[in-house]
This record gives sequence, C-alpha cells and structure tokens, in this order.
Amino acid sequence: MTSQDTALDLAQPSQVKWRQYVVTAGRIVLAILLVAAWKIGADRAGPIYVADPFLVANRIVTDTMSGELVHHVYVTLRLSVIGFAIGCFFGVVLPFLLRRLPRLTDAIEPYIMASVGIPKYALIPLFILWFGIDDAPKLWLVGLLVFYPIFIAVFAGIRNVDRRLINMARVMGASEAMISREVIWNSLQSFFFAALKIALPRAISATIIGEFLVGNAGLGFFIEYSRQNFDTTGVFAGIVIATALVLVINSVLVRIDRRLNAWRPTDRDMEL
Amino acid sequence: MSAQALLEVHDLGKRFASRAGRDSSLWVIRDLSFSVADGEFLTIVGPSGSGKTTLLNMIAQIDVASGGEVRFQSEVAPINDPKSLNPGLSCRIGYVTQEDNLLPWRTMLQNVLFPLVVQGRLNDETRARAEMLIRTVGLAGFENHYPHELSGGMRKRASLIRTLVYDPPVILMDEPFGALDAQTRTVLQEDLLRLWNLGRKTIIFVTHDITEAIALGDRTLVLTRAPARVAGEHKIDLPRPRDIRGILTDPKFIEIYQRIREQVQ
Ligand SMILES: Nc1ncnc2c1ncn2[C@@H]1O[C@H](COP(=O)(O)OP(=O)(O)OP(=O)(O)O)[C@@H](O)[C@H]1O
Ligand SMILES: [Mg+2]
Repeated sequence: MTSQDTALDLAQPSQVKWRQYVVTAGRIVLAILLVAAWKIGADRAGPIYVADPFLVANRIVTDTMSGELVHHVYVTLRLSVIGFAIGCFFGVVLPFLLRRLPRLTDAIEPYIMASVGIPKYALIPLFILWFGIDDAPKLWLVGLLVFYPIFIAVFAGIRNVDRRLINMARVMGASEAMISREVIWNSLQSFFFAALKIALPRAISATIIGEFLVGNAGLGFFIEYSRQNFDTTGVFAGIVIATALVLVINSVLVRIDRRLNAWRPTDRDMEL
Repeated sequence: MSAQALLEVHDLGKRFASRAGRDSSLWVIRDLSFSVADGEFLTIVGPSGSGKTTLLNMIAQIDVASGGEVRFQSEVAPINDPKSLNPGLSCRIGYVTQEDNLLPWRTMLQNVLFPLVVQGRLNDETRARAEMLIRTVGLAGFENHYPHELSGGMRKRASLIRTLVYDPPVILMDEPFGALDAQTRTVLQEDLLRLWNLGRKTIIFVTHDITEAIALGDRTLVLTRAPARVAGEHKIDLPRPRDIRGILTDPKFIEIYQRIREQVQ
C-alpha cells in the first residue's frame, strides 16, 4: 500500500511535466500552422483582402515605435475601463438593492429580462442622437453591454446563496450590510468571475465598434480609417492588437480569480 | 431547579407550507411545551425526523412558528411573523447547527473569530479565549486550514467553539458530536461539561444518543415521532461533576436509561 503510494507519487510529477511538454509543443506547431495558413491565404487572396502576416508584424512594430498605436490602444482601453466600471458598478449594486426589496424585484423582473433581449448595438444611432459624438454614446454602449451579464450573474448568485450560512451569520449578530459583504459577496464569486469573463472582452469589442462610428482615435478608429484608405495591413494590425488586448485581460482575470478563490478545492486541482 | 424559567416554550406548533402532491396538513410539531431554567443543561432525545432541528430553528428565531409562543425571560419572542424574527435574540441565543455551516472561504481561525468580528468584540482577551478553545478541542495547528481541508469531525468542533467563543447566555446544540468517533466524542463531552461548569450557561442539547443525553443533562426530554410532543421528562439526578466513562455502569444511570429507552420508539 505505502510502496505503491510512493511509486505513484514519484511517477506523477514527471508524467505531468511530460504532458506539459507535449501540450506546449502542440501549441507551437499549431501557431506555426496558423501563420502558414494565413500567409498562403494572403498570397492567394491578394494584399487588398488579406494582409501578409510578416508585413502586419512589421507594421505593428513601426506603429508601436512611432507611438501611434500606443495612443490608440490607450484611448480604447480608457473608454473600455470607464464603461466597464460604470456597467459593473450598477450590475453589482442593483441586485444587492433588489435583494432588500423582494416585491419591487418581482414587479420589475420581467421587464429586466425582456430588456436583455434588446440588441444593444442597434441602439447606437439613438445614443448618438441623444448623447452626441463624444465619449458619451460609446460609454452608454459599453456600460449596457457590461451591465447585463454582471447583473444577471450577481442576481442569480444572490438567489443561490446558502440560506443556512445567512441564518448562521444573523444568529451571531451580523448586520444586513455585513451579511451582504461577507456571506453573499463571497458566495457569489464564481458567478461574478464567470460574468467578468464575458463582460471584459465585451467591453473592448463594444468600444471598438463605437469607435468605428464616432470619434477620431482608438483601435476601432484605426481599423476603420485603415480600411477607408485601402490599408489592409493596418486593418489586420489593429485586429491583432485588439485580440492581444483581450487575451492579456483574460489571463490577468484568470490569475486574479485563482488568487482570490484559492480556498476552493476544485481550483487547486485544476492548477496542476 | 430552584432557578426561574429562562426560556419557555408554550403550545408550539409547526407546519410546513404544502407543495403540490403532498399532504398539506402535516404538523411536524404540535402543542409542544416545556421550559428551561437559568443555568440548566437540558437534553432532548427523539427519533430522526421528529422535528428536533425544526424546534431549535424556531427557538433561535430563524424559522417562524405556526402556533404557540416562545418566551425568553418572560418576554414573548415574536416568532409567528417572518418580518419580526430576531435571529439569535440579539446574540443572547447561540446555535450550534446540525451542519457545521462554516464559511468555506475563511480559514478555521477566521471562522472561529467570525462572531467576535461581526459583534465588534475582537480584542486581546477574546482572541486569547478563542485560542484557548481551539486548543481545548484539539484543533491547534489547523488555524490556517480552510474548512474543506478539515475532517468532518474537526469542522463540527470548529463550529462548536465558534459559538462558545462569544459566550451567549443560552446555547442550542443540534447533535454537535454526532459525526465523531466514540473516543473523541467522550473527550469533547468532558470538555463541554467542564466549560459549562465554569460558566453555567443554559444549554439545550439535541441528540439521538440516549447515553449522551443522560451523561450530560440535568433533565432529559423525550420527543415523540412527528408531530413532535413531549413523551416524557426525566430528571437526571446523578451527582456532578460527572465521570463520563464511569457513569455507564452506575445503577442509577442504567435505570434512567431503561426508562427513556421504553419511551423512544
Ligand atoms: N423546509 C421544510 N419543508 C418541509 N418539510 C420540512 C422542512 N424541514 C423539515 N421538514 C420536515 O420536518 C420533519 C422534521 O425535520 P427535522 O429536521 O426537524 O427533524 P430532526 O428531528 O432534526 O431529524 P434528525 O434527527 O434526522 O436531524 C421531517 O419530517 C422533515 O421532512
Ligand atoms: Mg435534525
């Protein structure tokens, strides 16, 4: 029994490492294949439709050096962050307020659920009409797109909290505010992070779409401006940067999630 | 029982809201009355499903009653209306629930300190008390473990001392030693009696185990099957301090055991 255990213990780490190597190697091969496919596609379709990957890489380097791309990324990030913060704030606070007003919740729930169905992008012309062509219409778009997934997740998370934990805290004299912060907020972390994984990339895409239509800076503007000038390499460079941005944000999020939720047994297992 | 009644349960009844396909008029508890004196250790035994947890939930005021009343220090506790429930009666009734109900994202120590933190009573003195209790129940060294890293029995012990740490005058306990092995169980019973002897809290202790009920209690109530009523009441006039291990062979113990055994169906 014991000897078998040790044997397993010894075998496991090297096995895990080996598996890791295979996965990494597979990823590199896939990346090379993708770039190759891209390159072949570019050669076949012509530079007007598909930009050459090496020219795109070159373009990213020069435009980053010149500071142009950095500026666009900054503009897009700033708007995404502000819009995200607004949407996230209301998406978290509103369910907590509604928790205290069960009758109001019952009354407005069908309306909220119906409003989920409104295609938000279809509202952009209205936002431009109402809020002008500065940041305001874009912030409304980003805010709304972030608000819904977070609101729905937090709302469901609150309903899902273990009543027994709340009762226990009440018996021990915890105030409603403490129960909200300690018991409910911590209970719904997995819901919240699942929603963040949807909302954060959405904030970036929504900002970019907003920038297609209004404004004179940002990644969306850069992509659309390049297209209007038949600069397909610029379009591709913008798309690559936008994708990289979302990937970076997601990996930061995963790391934060892991750190904050280290107490959860499943997360530990998955880290292996 | 020279002391006056601290807690009185009068004609208490409980019926759960019906759901489609179920008998609507099923009373879990009906016309249940008893009282507990200040400083008394009352034990309650009853078959599984007889409504013991339901009873404690109503006394702790986390669940409404369908009839009857509960009085605490002669003052009627409002337990018929869900809006006016006052869980724990302003920290005067502690409740060690049947499940441990530890916060899974807090370490064992943080869980034990939790009531002190929410009551704003965390200071050097109470912290020392928490550490003493952790040592007493043999959890020293596991302070920084999360609940899922503790065994079931360790979690129960943590949840027990989480209530003891803030020292409420009345403590309800729902089978706190149910999941423990016989040896640990005996040790903890002795610890509980010792702690009780120091502070003389009022304890209502629910258990399946007749031996435990006799060994710990001043008085034992036997509940019937649902709807729960008091089937019998037994004064345990065994001298204190008690020797939990030796008591089993005491002729008086055996006699009380026989009497209770007959009433528990
Ligand atoms: N929320 C509820 N809704 C409907 N019925 C319930 C509810 N809670 C408990 N009951 C019923 O009430 C009865 C008593 O339950 P309770 O949990 O009080 O039993 P118990 O004496 O604590 O049992 P055990 O010793 O197994 O813990 C059971 O028949 C159970 O089905
Ligand atoms: Mg029970």
